Amino acid sequence: MLQYFDPKQRRNPEVDYGTPAAQGSLVRLTIDGRTIEVPEGTSIMRAAMLASIKIPKLCATDSLEAFGSCRLCLVEIEGRRGLPSSCTTPVEQGLVVHTYNPRLALVRRNVMELYISDHPLDCLTCPANGNCELQDVAGEVGLRAVRYGFEGENHLAAEPDTSHPYFSFDASKCIVCSRCVRACEEVQGTFALTIDGRGFDSKVAAGQDESFLDSDCVSCGACVQACPTATLMEKTVIEQGQPEHSVITTCAYCGVGCAFKAELKGDQVVRMVPYKGGAANQGHSCVKGRFAFGYATHKERVTTPMIRDSIDAPWQTVSWDEAMTFAANRIRQIQQVYGSDSVGGITSSRCTNEETYLVQKLVRAAFGNNNVDTCARVCHSPTGYGLKATLGESAGTQAFESVEQADVIMVIGANPTDAHPVFASRLKRRLRAGAELIVADPRRIDLVSGPHVQARHHLKLLPGTNVALINALAHTIIDEGLQDQAFIEARCDLEAFARWRAFIMEPRNAPEALSAALGVSAESLRSAARLYAKAGNAAIYYGLGVTEHSQGSTMVMGIANLAMLTGNLGREGVGVNPLRGQNNVQGACDMGSFPHELPGYRHVSDQRVRQAFEASWGVQIGSEPGLRIPNMLDGAISGTYKGLYCQGEDIAQSDPNTHHVEAALRNLDCLIVQDIFLNETAKFAHVFFPGATFLEKDGTFTNAERRISPVRRVMQPLSGKADWEATMAFSNALGYPMNYQHPSEIMAEIASLTPTFSGVSYQRLDEEGSLQWPCNDAAPSGTPTMHVDQFVRGKGYFERTEFIATAEKVTRRFPFLLTTGRILSQYNVGAQTRRTANIGWHEQDLLEIHPQDAEDLGINELDAVQVASRAGETVLAARITDRVQPGVVYTTFHHPESGANVVTTDNSDWATNCPEYKVTAVHLKKVERPSDWQTEHLAFTETQVRLMTQPTKRALDETA
Amino acid sequence: MDQELTHLIKMANQIAAHCAPGEPSNVAADRAANHITRFWAPSMRLQIKAYLLADGVLLDDTAQDAVSRLG
Repeated sequence: MLQYFDPKQRRNPEVDYGTPAAQGSLVRLTIDGRTIEVPEGTSIMRAAMLASIKIPKLCATDSLEAFGSCRLCLVEIEGRRGLPSSCTTPVEQGLVVHTYNPRLALVRRNVMELYISDHPLDCLTCPANGNCELQDVAGEVGLRAVRYGFEGENHLAAEPDTSHPYFSFDASKCIVCSRCVRACEEVQGTFALTIDGRGFDSKVAAGQDESFLDSDCVSCGACVQACPTATLMEKTVIEQGQPEHSVITTCAYCGVGCAFKAELKGDQVVRMVPYKGGAANQGHSCVKGRFAFGYATHKERVTTPMIRDSIDAPWQTVSWDEAMTFAANRIRQIQQVYGSDSVGGITSSRCTNEETYLVQKLVRAAFGNNNVDTCARVCHSPTGYGLKATLGESAGTQAFESVEQADVIMVIGANPTDAHPVFASRLKRRLRAGAELIVADPRRIDLVSGPHVQARHHLKLLPGTNVALINALAHTIIDEGLQDQAFIEARCDLEAFARWRAFIMEPRNAPEALSAALGVSAESLRSAARLYAKAGNAAIYYGLGVTEHSQGSTMVMGIANLAMLTGNLGREGVGVNPLRGQNNVQGACDMGSFPHELPGYRHVSDQRVRQAFEASWGVQIGSEPGLRIPNMLDGAISGTYKGLYCQGEDIAQSDPNTHHVEAALRNLDCLIVQDIFLNETAKFAHVFFPGATFLEKDGTFTNAERRISPVRRVMQPLSGKADWEATMAFSNALGYPMNYQHPSEIMAEIASLTPTFSGVSYQRLDEEGSLQWPCNDAAPSGTPTMHVDQFVRGKGYFERTEFIATAEKVTRRFPFLLTTGRILSQYNVGAQTRRTANIGWHEQDLLEIHPQDAEDLGINELDAVQVASRAGETVLAARITDRVQPGVVYTTFHHPESGANVVTTDNSDWATNCPEYKVTAVHLKKVERPSDWQTEHLAFTETQVRLMTQPTKRALDETA
Repeated sequence: MDQELTHLIKMANQIAAHCAPGEPSNVAADRAANHITRFWAPSMRLQIKAYLLADGVLLDDTAQDAVSRLG
């Protein structure tokens, strides 16, 4: 007898079981003479497939609830009348099921014949040929003829919709199985598709019967994935044919870290298909990971090393060896003149763990200082600080699937549907199942109100008042006796709690006292606090709207306090969950990319830790912190910091106060940029190391749930070297030998030196798919949920969270507050997504402004608006919308020419120096022309592109 | 005054302001000094100490106390 508890880990992701797994007590039945035990609630179709009995199907797939429309999966059940559909019929104790006999075969063949009577018979030239479920099922049921002919009314002449850049919709091939409609609803949660009409006139319609491009479709690809025919088909497959092999890898976009099958012909990626076995995404994807991979082979990729003496000189294309020698000599010359500490490096959250580890090792071992930092400095460094101080570890507490157990979800300063779309789909699914939602955000994000999702509370606070919010919520919880006293007494430092309690209960922290500063009514605050505290399971998800403030670290500690206060830590369904921006922010931080910490978040002053690295690396490591990115830039301007190795970051676009950043970069004697494109920072560089995309290298990424997932090479590095190989060559040129043969050897070194990674190896990643750290002897299978029995620091620590308002305040001169964010189609500085068809959804960054403010200023839609702060000014086109509140404006930073960061200031988080991107006081004025910076930027860009293309062209001429 | 020093003064005042609430002044200064020691590079600490010795008027009281305690 076969017995299936049907745990997800034992499910073969390559098999479609027809309907989703169920959980329940075991039920025994017999299918085609085989006795099987499966959980109650399992469909007969799934039970059969678990026993390797495949029942023909078209409308069923295991990512969707059973629908029962295609009538192909009929079975016979002894003692019952008729032929029930196996997908919608649940198992019962003692059932005896037959999946095949002459009667069933005849019915199935007849049903299939009807389908095919209204389907083109162009299989040989159809793009789905070789991967078509309809064709497969026709074969399975033995269809040999279609007796009805094609003379009658049919849909064969339906016009295809080719409006979408990435896939086509060919209605002539549609069998109206509704899989696409249900995928849009159940998997993605957008409800953009519907079945329009009835009976014979039924058809799949996007939006209000619009084209796909004009509809509400968010281009996640779930419909394409679900389609069993060629109706919804990737254009790359139409153009290139079916892929012939695949490699499982991890997406290089956001911190969700979706697993994908890169499907290829030779070394050409035909399509990226979300991998059902991926624990982070479970077969779902978003428009970026699914479709926006074309940047990897974009014509603007720089694939040859380049050097030059000054940023006004033409680039010279050189060999890797020449570039390495040039860079190493420059760095050593600088150090001879200005001292060992006059150079440093920046690791990339877009590179692998192994690559960031190597860069920090190079800085510490070859440069001989701790001047290494990472882009987490400008996004989630307060998360590391705040969670370490309160809970003991610089990481989120849960796995993504924990949200499925949450009763109340509080989203603070995050926009998951745009920035973490695959997690957002999972979150929305939980909301549709009944969980309550609280959103705290100055702007009305999509999650506030959408199809079948409605936030109970939208706390539309003013930018810069997060700490006041979290204090008001905590005050209410204690004031109304809603705290989990037993949890506090068992798990937390009681002295610290007593001090914090006295502070939080001061009348100035009451909602009634803070309401005016927040711009949120006291009753809303109290009501939201009650909802969170009484939830049972309450989970907080937060993003850069929490961290990128002058009190970012305080707010993170406030969030941890709130979770401890209500006992919402240490089990599934609860927790403190930072949604990381870039794919490997967590990993870059884990790998010792901070100037004060070695891998595993251990301070450089810890002699025992230092000694372990010194023994392994064979060098002395400094016991003092190095420079953070803002400190490096300050040092560059003052003339003490002269050389920077910047891997995979674009600080000239992404960091605040562009004037300041550009001035610093211009002052460097040697700027080495390693990137796939000549990015904004590279325009100030003296050495360019051509980078490799995630498709061109092996390694690992660590996502927001501490999940370490494999990145696998599917094509050769266009430049000849993966990034880890370039870093290694640079280190060797500097005289510090590195000789890894494969990134697995780097991971082995990381595991040997980092207690939370000691159980991680490539072999285990290959076997298990992914691992969540800590993964060591104490947690051999990894750690989905942290702080289960006790906090990593021992007792949870309530840190005082004084609300100290930012110095960035509205004045008569700067009467508006600017806040910045991201949109769905673009990623970070846009270097990747702008070089794909995603650009069609976001051709420029827009300034969102409230209709009342626009009217007061005489601004119309798409008018040019000058946005000026004390740091600088830029000009953006206006988007008039009540998403933003009066007095607040919003923009994105995906296009360099927008100059969003020309306006943001040098204000930063008190503890970590994370910039205050989210609050900038600005003046707005309707204008007719770009800003001076924009004009200069355009000219500078043209010059730099010319300086790059000149030597390339010359080289080509010489070759000719 | 150069930008770097201006930033250091601002950062020191910020740290002190966040360490001070609810603490006796000596504890606040200790906390701020400890934070600066753990997160500032030696060159930054040297500059802020030199500034305190030379002038220091733009440093708030707690920040002055903290900087004076830096090793």
